Amino acid sequence: MAHANRRIGVKQPLEIMTPDRRQPVRNVLLEALLVAAAGIVLALGANLVSPRGLALARNYFPADINRPVPAATGVVNTNPPASSPAQLLAARLKEQGLQSVDGRQAAQLFHDPRFKQGSIAFIDARDEPHYREGHIPGACEFDPYHPEKYFATVLPVCQAAEQIVLYCNGGDCDDSESAAILLRDVGIANQKLFIYTGGITEWTTNGLPVEIGGRNSGNLRRTNK
Amino acid sequence: MNTSQSSWSRTAADTFAVLARWLLGAVFLYMGLNKALHPVEFLKLVRQYDLVQSSLLLNSIAAVLPWFEIFCGLLLLAGVAVRGTAVMLIVMLVPFTVLVFRRALAIQSALAIPFCAVKFDCGCGTGEVFICRKLLENFLFILFSVWLLAGYGRKLCVRHSLMSCAVKTSLTEEGRSTGSI
Repeated sequence: MAHANRRIGVKQPLEIMTPDRRQPVRNVLLEALLVAAAGIVLALGANLVSPRGLALARNYFPADINRPVPAATGVVNTNPPASSPAQLLAARLKEQGLQSVDGRQAAQLFHDPRFKQGSIAFIDARDEPHYREGHIPGACEFDPYHPEKYFATVLPVCQAAEQIVLYCNGGDCDDSESAAILLRDVGIANQKLFIYTGGITEWTTNGLPVEIGGRNSGNLRRTNK
Repeated sequence: MNTSQSSWSRTAADTFAVLARWLLGAVFLYMGLNKALHPVEFLKLVRQYDLVQSSLLLNSIAAVLPWFEIFCGLLLLAGVAVRGTAVMLIVMLVPFTVLVFRRALAIQSALAIPFCAVKFDCGCGTGEVFICRKLLENFLFILFSVWLLAGYGRKLCVRHSLMSCAVKTSLTEEGRSTGSI
């Protein structure tokens, strides 16, 4: 009968507009569940075998204490508007028992002869590509998201130093805080750790030199003020 | 006349739906790969939405989502379980669009700029984007997903429905599912 209707041009709008209308919704939902289950299992497996995979049980943000929601562009502050970003940062560092240095103090420590002697250390808490692009001359690389790669080189430097200045990009970046907490957790004394809050952004804005490539590569570039 | 017109429009709709399926698949594959290659960056972006407090949950979201998107992208490109995948895309896209919209509103009020001037990295896998463009994109993706969910885009599918053995549709009776295996 249906075929006869088609032959003589009788419209069957429902069959045309919704070709699968007779397939129960249940089947589609079941299919979605299958996709979800298979997808999650495969995703977990891919994360496990990927060399860049995340360790699920690890706390990548040990610096998280009442952290405000930051923004990639500009500043988003979900806390009361009376608190400026600088105030919030100061409060957060205080809560974590960390000390901070500003741009002037960081430059002073960099020019201090004790830096050459190893009594002052600079630690760059950004990832490898950014470190190689330009870091404070003589700073050690220590990406807090892959600490196991760097402990062997960073720990002796930190143990020998009396003051350790940690920095990342500045602004919203709190990777230097995470790095400081990781170092504290492995036994570096808290009073040695200082966060350079302005980070590499302020450093370069102030026209101070950066080193390209690896540590002590000697390839220095003075940034324009 | 009416029959040929409706046949032409059906063919056009089918062709467009297949293109939409491939486009969705390619976009999800691309965005998923971008995130999977930089999982720490993605983790930081997910964290900015302040969705969960538990680090285990946060890590799980950031670890699973990129690969899940790649999986869905591949399913759509190949044409496997299209309607089920479309449901999953809607399940991902709708809440994500709401989150992005809310975050953009927060940025707008903090910076006191026009809504469409808000630009940020929403964790979509394409870097910083203007919010209006992102919302429009997501709206189109949701629309395409609904379209696929309605049963279109079944040409050139490896296996459009995993449940097709159990249910015979009017289309298969007509033999219109050319290209499906």
